[in-house]
Amino acid sequence: MFKKILIANRGEIALRIIRACKELGIKTVAVYSTADQESLHVRFADEVVCIGPGPSAQSYLNIPSLISAAEVTNSEAIHPGYGFLAENAHFAEVCESCGIQFIGPSHDMIANMGDKAFAKAKMKEAGIQTIPGSDGILKDINQAHKLAKDIGFPVILKATAGGGGRGMRIVRSSEQLENAFTTARSEAEAAFNNPGLYMEKYFEEPRHIEVQILGDDHGNITAYGERECSIQRKHQKLIEESPSPAIDDELRQKLMDAAIKGAKMVNYKSAGTIEFLLDKDGKFYFMEMNTRIQVEHPVTEMVIGIDLVKEQIRLAAGEKLLFTSPLKLRGHAIECRINAEDPDKGFRPNPGDISYFHVPGGPGVRVDTHAYALYKIPPFYDSLLAKIITHGKNREEALVRMMRGLEEFFIEGIKTTIPFHQKILQDKDFQAGNFNTKFIERFMDVK
Amino acid sequence: MRPKEIKKLIDLVESSNISELEVSRWGRKVRIRKDMGGQAMPDGHENIYVAPAPAPAKSKRAPEVAEPVTSEKKTEKNENIIEIESPMVGTFYRAPAPDAKPYVEVGQVISKGQVLCIIEAMKLMNEIEAETSGRIVEIHAKNAQPVEFNQVLFTIEKV
Repeated sequence: MFKKILIANRGEIALRIIRACKELGIKTVAVYSTADQESLHVRFADEVVCIGPGPSAQSYLNIPSLISAAEVTNSEAIHPGYGFLAENAHFAEVCESCGIQFIGPSHDMIANMGDKAFAKAKMKEAGIQTIPGSDGILKDINQAHKLAKDIGFPVILKATAGGGGRGMRIVRSSEQLENAFTTARSEAEAAFNNPGLYMEKYFEEPRHIEVQILGDDHGNITAYGERECSIQRKHQKLIEESPSPAIDDELRQKLMDAAIKGAKMVNYKSAGTIEFLLDKDGKFYFMEMNTRIQVEHPVTEMVIGIDLVKEQIRLAAGEKLLFTSPLKLRGHAIECRINAEDPDKGFRPNPGDISYFHVPGGPGVRVDTHAYALYKIPPFYDSLLAKIITHGKNREEALVRMMRGLEEFFIEGIKTTIPFHQKILQDKDFQAGNFNTKFIERFMDVK
Repeated sequence: MRPKEIKKLIDLVESSNISELEVSRWGRKVRIRKDMGGQAMPDGHENIYVAPAPAPAKSKRAPEVAEPVTSEKKTEKNENIIEIESPMVGTFYRAPAPDAKPYVEVGQVISKGQVLCIIEAMKLMNEIEAETSGRIVEIHAKNAQPVEFNQVLFTIEKV
């Protein structure tokens, strides 16, 4: 087991990793930018090293600084958390070549699974349904027509160089295809200097379902249930839960089997998540694989009763999986991500001074946060302030506890999304478990 | 505790009949002592000792434990005093090689661009140059000591 780990991250996840290390008897090194001097993860680590000024590029993304900090503190391993360099294959490679254990999969694995085409091909090989689409860029309108007929309408055209919704067109019939193809190409050319388009099957109201997997060095892979993550705003998850209200035991078994097969196909090691799209007819399609611990890992921890970060560290130290056979999910867990944003002003980020901070408690309520009273939120990083996770014997109890928890959660001095979450929890469709990735869009239109 | 806060505490001790003041926060302690003869120390400066929290021993900056810092409170805020801070994380070396002469010594007059020390990071030796010419008033880091970003290495007085 490692004697000392450097946490290459900040905020709530840095604190989360420090907590796991404390329980494992591992010494911790926190790194911080000058803007994070008063941060909680700095307080609770055994050693601290200032690695640069506020802007992430010069601090938390600064590889030489991080490696140097690990070297001067004699850290044996680096935990990258999530975001920042967690899925940066180059960083993992640098760690490996400097003799520092990267807590995650190998740099090859990160690079491979980050390559969407490669990941898709591997999953297909494993017999898992992937999102039907073109193999690369569409050559011309004729190919587009043929492919669309094979896939079946509706389809979506996407710019290969793009993002942010530009160079995208949903096409519902072959009559619309020609025009959509031409306009999407011009938009892509204008925005990204690359007119290349690819095509995928378009799902009207999919649900985002992901499966937590763990793999050890001895070839064992296990899946720890699914997470429902359809409540998203602009592709950012707001509320997650486990198990998914849309999934019965039979479908769950199919999902677990598919996830394990896929992970085994690439010989996956460490913690990872396989994301699927679930369509209205109960069919699921592989979307992508994330080779890191995720923000929403606590909902799985609550229903499985296992500390996933401790597991990740143990696996990196070469130990075997705690449980190789599947575990039953106990009860139901929900997580709300509380951001320092003003929901009444377009969710504008709200860095500033927290004047008052009271965290909820009582049975089945867990709060993971790096914030505290008088904490000054720096402006350089993302707006995630706290995660409130509730657990109950069933979904109703978890929901009721979340409502109680949000009522007891007082954060003053800045605006947060707590009131927004409270409104979502009052929604009849949400309460019924009746929603998909379009939920927030509709919810906000109605408001 | 930040220098500003420590300065406030010094002023408090100075202007009152308090002979010794100890403040602790977040596991860190500051103790300020005044010689009741009215003189703090023979050279007129207050000495501040920043001690880490008692057991479990937590070293906030490996491997050193206590760091004496001399307060410049008695002197006016001097624009001629420049602090050279470390631009990176690494190991501080006074000389180009273990058996070589140190680049600079206290009291030495140096010119702008002159190499003051080396900071080794990831097996690369980085020469740190003076931003200004002047006289070395103090060297704050010891040879082979790990240093972090922004850590004060030298105090230079412009001449």
